[in-house]
Amino acid sequence: MISISNVTKLHKGSPRPALDNVSIEIDKGDFVFLVGASGSGKSTLLRLILREDVPSKGSIHVLGENLVAIPSRRVPQFRRKIGVVFQDFRLLPGKTVFQNVAFSLEVIGKSSAFISDAVPEVLKLVGLEEKADRLPGELSGGEQQRVALARAIVNKPAILLADEPTGNLDPNTSADIVNLLEKISQSGTTIVMATHDVGIVDRLKRRVIELKHGVIVRDDKKSGYETALPNTDQVQTIEPSGEQA
Amino acid sequence: MRFGFVLSEIGQGLRRNVSMVVSIILVTFLSLTFVGTAGLLQAQIGQMKNYWYDRAQVAIYLCTETSPGDACPQGEASADVKSTVEASLKDEALAAFVDKFYFEDHQAAFDKFQEQFAGNSVAKYVKAEQLNETFWVKVKDPEKSAVIVESFTGVAGVEEVRDQRSYLDQIFNILNAASIAAVGIASIMLASSVLLISTTIRLSAFSRRREIGIMRLVGASNFYIQLPFILEGVVAATVGSLLAGGAVIAIVQFFVQGYLATSMPLTSFVGLEDALLLAPGLLLAGVVLAAIASGFAIRRYLKI
Repeated sequence: MISISNVTKLHKGSPRPALDNVSIEIDKGDFVFLVGASGSGKSTLLRLILREDVPSKGSIHVLGENLVAIPSRRVPQFRRKIGVVFQDFRLLPGKTVFQNVAFSLEVIGKSSAFISDAVPEVLKLVGLEEKADRLPGELSGGEQQRVALARAIVNKPAILLADEPTGNLDPNTSADIVNLLEKISQSGTTIVMATHDVGIVDRLKRRVIELKHGVIVRDDKKSGYETALPNTDQVQTIEPSGEQA
Repeated sequence: MRFGFVLSEIGQGLRRNVSMVVSIILVTFLSLTFVGTAGLLQAQIGQMKNYWYDRAQVAIYLCTETSPGDACPQGEASADVKSTVEASLKDEALAAFVDKFYFEDHQAAFDKFQEQFAGNSVAKYVKAEQLNETFWVKVKDPEKSAVIVESFTGVAGVEEVRDQRSYLDQIFNILNAASIAAVGIASIMLASSVLLISTTIRLSAFSRRREIGIMRLVGASNFYIQLPFILEGVVAATVGSLLAGGAVIAIVQFFVQGYLATSMPLTSFVGLEDALLLAPGLLLAGVVLAAIASGFAIRRYLKI
């Protein structure tokens, strides 16, 4: 489903690669946590899977597409099979909950009949059918993230990428979002979630891939956050002396 | 393709940038009006050439008592001179070029002068014998009038041979220069309208960067993302070009036909049909220019 082999990503003006010879296989229906300190390469990896960026070296195959060779005119079609949520929700403030979800279908040319069926259905799934006419500004953070999730899955994507989706939420609300992600995962959607949230990773006991300075330092099935390495705070405090050596 | 959606996006974009859209409309309007005016001037020149070149004659001015000595050492042209000139005009060598000719004596020239300068003080002082007796020659092909000019220049008793086209050419040169100036101004303004369109589109894209970001994430095609922006520029420029077309038609209707044609009834002017022919061309030019400018701007701004 997602096959990343020997991928290196160099950013212009940065001597250290954002990803350094990374190889990952993710199967259909997997629920994978990407963990690691800020700047460890989690977001870069997600951007590569979404074909927002191309690797400097190595190959990436997602959903049968070779993302290094895919012509740019086919990229939109490819992205329709992938849903994304972010830490900052990225909702349109001037549109209602319903319109925000409908927008993502309108712009890929879906019929209004399809939209009027699919949007209420997905809002019910995320528990927001009562608030379809509200503006994002009138909702709590957790509710906004649920709208963003609804938008990401309304077109039934095969893969859902989540870039620190609970980063702006309190623990209880975060738990709600993660429960929702588990529910989505049970329907066969592959989920890759980048996170700093120790509690969530420890509770779910799913596959954990840990990155440090762009290198995979751990890839454990059914693992917790702190099983193999010191946690991120310690990693960050060690970092400066390590670089001087 | 959902046209309703595209239309509402265009509407939003136009409303969000009202002042920029108004400036696009004004600049395209003015620049295309200049282009249209240049077109009208060219049509006018063409029409006047057709009209006047057909009527233009070659004048063979004979010497008078008051002619300058170097051209007319013998003074007033004698009857011999007149019959010589007349004979050579009728001669086979020139018959191929001469359509018809007539002789204007002192009295006829004086009458014409009095009529032309009626009310002008110069009419009082001029005497009939000061005015040249003239052979007016209508040539068959205006392009070959030089043959007549060369045949009679320097002949004894002939003061000067002048092709009336040389006067007309001066007028046409002035009109030509005016239309070139109009085209020059128009091209500067068109360049600024192209820049204005691309700036506006860029602003519009910037103010909708959230929407564009989401559209790209959910896999909207480039065409779908770009179309509202391109059409936004095209809509604004279309309004401007329609105004320009209207202005050109109004200029012809009210200024040329309404004012010039009545104050100069002897001259033929461009008509409404010329303006009606020009207006769709202006519209097309405006639309194509706007589509290229906004397409180029949005393409540079939005990369996958």
